[in-house]
Amino acid sequence: MRQATSWVKSAGVGFVRACVATVVSTLVPVVWAGAVVLAVWWASNPWSWIPLFVLASVATFALSRPICRIFRFLVARWTGTVITPGYLEAAPVVQLSTGYWWNGTSYSRTSKEAREDQELRLRWRDPATWRDLRFLGIAAIAVGVPAAIPPAGIAVAVLGFSRSTAALTVLGLVVAIAAAPYAWRSVEPVTVRFLGASAAMLADRVGELTAQRADTTVAQAAEIRRIERDLHDGAQARLVALGLSLATAEKLMETDPSQARALLRDARAGAAMSLTELRELVKGISPPVLNERGLVDAVRALALDLPLDVSVDAGGRLHLDPPIESALYFGVAELVTNVVKHARATRARISIARDDADIVVEVEDNGRGGAETSADGGLAGLRRRLAVFDGTLEITSPVGGPTRVKMVVPCE
Amino acid sequence: MRIVVAEDLYLLRDGMVRLIEAYGHEVVATATTGPETLEALLKWRPDVSVVDVRMPPTQSDEGLRAALAARGEVPGLPILILSQHVEQLYARELLADGTGAIGYLLKDSVFDADQFIDALERVAAGGTAMDPAVIAKLLSSGPSNRRLERLTEREHDVLSLMAEGLSNQAIGGRLFLSESAISKHTTSLFGKLGITDDDNNNRRVLAVLAYLNGV
Repeated sequence: MRQATSWVKSAGVGFVRACVATVVSTLVPVVWAGAVVLAVWWASNPWSWIPLFVLASVATFALSRPICRIFRFLVARWTGTVITPGYLEAAPVVQLSTGYWWNGTSYSRTSKEAREDQELRLRWRDPATWRDLRFLGIAAIAVGVPAAIPPAGIAVAVLGFSRSTAALTVLGLVVAIAAAPYAWRSVEPVTVRFLGASAAMLADRVGELTAQRADTTVAQAAEIRRIERDLHDGAQARLVALGLSLATAEKLMETDPSQARALLRDARAGAAMSLTELRELVKGISPPVLNERGLVDAVRALALDLPLDVSVDAGGRLHLDPPIESALYFGVAELVTNVVKHARATRARISIARDDADIVVEVEDNGRGGAETSADGGLAGLRRRLAVFDGTLEITSPVGGPTRVKMVVPCE
Repeated sequence: MRIVVAEDLYLLRDGMVRLIEAYGHEVVATATTGPETLEALLKWRPDVSVVDVRMPPTQSDEGLRAALAARGEVPGLPILILSQHVEQLYARELLADGTGAIGYLLKDSVFDADQFIDALERVAAGGTAMDPAVIAKLLSSGPSNRRLERLTEREHDVLSLMAEGLSNQAIGGRLFLSESAISKHTTSLFGKLGITDDDNNNRRVLAVLAYLNGV
C-alpha cells in the first residue's frame, strides 16, 4: 500500500516536472517555429525571411541567459546539484576626476551607460554565452523530447476519449503514467554536462589564479622582508644596547654607583622603547584586537582611534576565515587612512554586513571626493589583495564627494 | 593587601608575584586560564587582582571577560587589567559600569615598580589607574571633544592626569605645582565641563571618566 502511494506520488511529481522541463526547453524552438510559420505565411517576396531571422536570433540571444538560469535553478531545486554559472564578472565602473565614467574599455557620460556598454561587450566575448546557446540547442532534444512524453500521452488519451476510442485512451494514460517518474530525469545530466564550466572558462580561470598567485607571493616576500628589517634595526639593536648598558652598569656598580644608576635608567627606557616598537610591528602584522575579538570589534577599536567622527554599523560577531578577516581589516584600515589623509571629511561611516554568500564592507565619508586609482596606488593594491579571495572593490568618488568604497568578498 | 595574579606566562607571573611580595603584599592565589581566573576572583574576593587579557584556553580576551564576569557578580571588585596593548574599546567596556576600582595598564607599567604598586593600591581603594595613551585618545575623540576645546593647556594636563586616576597631590608632584594650585585648576575645569566637584577623589575621577566615555 505504502509502495503504491509513493509510486503515485513520484508519478505526480514527475509529471509536473516533465511539463515544466518541456515548457522551458522548448521556448527557443517555439520562437524559431513561430518565425518559420510566419515566413511561410508571408512569403510574398524572397527576402521577407530576413527580418524574421534577425528577430528570432535576437530573441534567442536575449532568452539564453534567463533560460539557462531557470535550468540551473530547476536542477538545484530537484536534485540538489549546484552548478556555478561561470559568467565573466564585470570590472567595477569608476568615475574619473573628469566626471566621466570608465568601465575598463570605454568612457561614458553616466554610470548607467557605462554599465550597459560594459554588459554588452562582456556578453559578446564571454565564452559562457556561446556555451549557453549550444546548450539551448542540445536541451531542446535531449531534455525536451523525453520530457514531452508524459504530456503527449495525456494529449493522446484526451484525443482517444473525445473520439470514444477506448484503446487510444488507455494507451495514452499508460504511457503518461509509466513515463512520468523518469521523463524529466535527463535534465540533470544534460545540464551538468553542457552548462558546467567549459575548457575555455577553466583556462581563463587558471590564468587569473596564476597571476594572483604571483602577486601574492611577491607581496608576501616583501612583507616578510619588511618585518625582518624592522626587527633587525629596531628590537634586535635595542636589545644589544640594553645588554651593553647592563654590562657596563654591573662594572660601574662598585666604582661609580651614580653613573651605574643612570645606565640602569637608560636600560629601562630602552626596554620600554623596544616594547613600543614591537607593539607597533605586531599591530602591522596582525592587530591583537582582531585575534581577540574578530573583525567587527577590531574595526570598532580602529574607528575609536581616528581623529574624526566614525560610526560603525555591524551586527554581532562574524565567524570568518582568519585570512579574509585580516584582508578586510587591513582594507578598512587603508580606506579610513585615505579618508583622514585626503578626503577632508568630518564624518565617516563603516558598515559590515553578511548575506548568504558574501561579506560586504562599505566605507563612506562626507569629504571632497575625486579619489583616483592609479595602477600602482594603494587602492589598486587593495583590489589585488581582495582578488585573491575572489573579492571585489568598487569605488564611487565624484568630484565634490562623497566617496563610497565597497568591498565584497564571497564566503560560505 | 591580599592579591590574585592571573597571567599565563610563567616568567611574567613569577616576576609579578615576586615584585608584589617585595612590597609586603600577599599573593593569595594565581591563575593561568580564563575559567581559573573567574573562579579565583569569586572564591578569594581579593583586595585587588592583576589580570592579563589574553589567556588560554582560547588565547583571545579570556582574562578581560573573566574580569567583567566577576565584576558582574561582585560589583566594584577591584581589578587591574594588564595587557601588551591598550585599546579604547576595552577601556570603555571596563569603565561602563561606573563603579570604579578598575585599572587598565600596559605591561610596561611594571618597569616602574613604585608607580605600579601605587596603581594597585589606588585600584584597591576604589580608584582607577588608566593608561595615559588611552586617556589621551579618550580626550581627543568622542562626543566630549568640542567642549574640551575651552580648557586651557594646563587644565587639559590636569584633566588627563586626573583621568588616569591620580590624586591632586600626585598631579601636583607630576606637574611641579602646589596642591592648592591644582585644586584651583580642577575647580575651573569642572565648571567649564559642567561636572559637580567632589571632595572624594575616587568619585571625582569616575565623573571625569564617565564624561570622557560619553556616558
